Amino acid sequence: MRTAVFWGCVIPHAQYAYELSVREIFPKLGVGLVDLEGVSCCGIPVMSVNMNAFLYMATRNLAIAEKTGLKDLLVPCSGCHLSLSEAMHYLSHDGKLREKIASLLRDEGLEYTGSINLWFTIDLLHSVVKKEAIQRSTRKKLNGLKLASHYGCHTIRPSSIGRVDDSENPKKLDELIEWLGARSDEYPEKLDCCGALLLWSHHDAAFTFAGLKLKAIQDRDFDGLVVSCPACHMMFDERQKVVASTIGSKLDLPVLYYSQLLGIAMGIKEEKLGLHLNRSPVDNLLEKIG
Amino acid sequence: MTIIDLMTTKKPDSKLRVKVLEKVGEHKPYSCFQCIRCTSGCPAMKMLEIKPHEIVNLVKLGFIEDIINSGVIWTCAMCLKCKERCPQEVAPVDLILALRNLAVETEAKVPEGHLKNVSMILETGFILLPREAVTRKLEKFSREKLGLPRLLKPGEKFKATFLKALEAS
Repeated sequence: MRTAVFWGCVIPHAQYAYELSVREIFPKLGVGLVDLEGVSCCGIPVMSVNMNAFLYMATRNLAIAEKTGLKDLLVPCSGCHLSLSEAMHYLSHDGKLREKIASLLRDEGLEYTGSINLWFTIDLLHSVVKKEAIQRSTRKKLNGLKLASHYGCHTIRPSSIGRVDDSENPKKLDELIEWLGARSDEYPEKLDCCGALLLWSHHDAAFTFAGLKLKAIQDRDFDGLVVSCPACHMMFDERQKVVASTIGSKLDLPVLYYSQLLGIAMGIKEEKLGLHLNRSPVDNLLEKIG
Repeated sequence: MTIIDLMTTKKPDSKLRVKVLEKVGEHKPYSCFQCIRCTSGCPAMKMLEIKPHEIVNLVKLGFIEDIINSGVIWTCAMCLKCKERCPQEVAPVDLILALRNLAVETEAKVPEGHLKNVSMILETGFILLPREAVTRKLEKFSREKLGLPRLLKPGEKFKATFLKALEAS
């Protein structure tokens, strides 16, 4: 399978570990990645300012992906995946809106037809690559690890437009973790939000959101937290120190992307997976894996 | 904290209410029967006192300026639980987004972070500039140093089209 990839803003400008690990694992699992030229932000960051501008941006990126002639588009950021999914949904249900956006796209020489399939990292691995190929690719078993999963709000909600997994009881990321031999235990805070989108208006509250979740997971003796959204990872991993000082607690929870965890199990070198870029103490986890 | 005394003798803003309804569809606020499932699951309510059911009620009553000027609409974390769980498909978050758009249109106070996103996108096509990643050992890495491909900006016509999209509402 060959798929176009839309990286968005956060991954290619800041969360390089996600980009490195996604680029590393998928070709080894038989999924070729094709970068897009001329794409922009997905539009979600301007949703609060102007809904029309948001829909134009989301749709222009879909139109650019369609130009490749590929049938599939991997969107590894939850926010971007929601943005593009919403545009597809609203445009397919509202002819007037479709024409309004189409006329803007014509200014750029673009056309959107609605012919592409969207994938997120988690469902591409779970539903296309599948268990057998994933287990065949691994060299290390992650037995004995107790990990917490975090899906990201925009990965699973709102179900009315079709999302990556069940909105109240998501399982795919947990199963992906378990296929590697580790445990993925349920915890009451599993669906809690990381707070990232509050960074544009209420810093301290945003960090408190992230801190309370990290603290709860740490207090439940998990070995680490596995995420799949770059905004959530930025809150839980990159900002873990400032988050800890905001809530006045000591936090030292290893946080990593599922693509990194899978890469470790596949025996890929740490630096190729960007594990040197994680700011949380992932060394503690790597030692346990050995 | 309360946004407005519900026994107020103040007249509602009918024109602004029509503007909100145009954005979200008439059924949205009016199907709400105040079951408060939205507020019970709202993570921002715990910290920032936003009550989604109260916002829906105030749109119904037409006190739009009071909601917009209270600043409370900017405390939503966009977790979408209220949209997911509303039994009436009211989706309080959709009302909050419409109110935010209206706050921009009416030149009410808007948090700088949101406006900065617009100016960054105009300038570069993205909300961030490429950052140097800092490792746990405090070494710095750029995209180039990590061997990642060079980033390209969107084409020349993007900026003008984005501005045109911003003008329409």
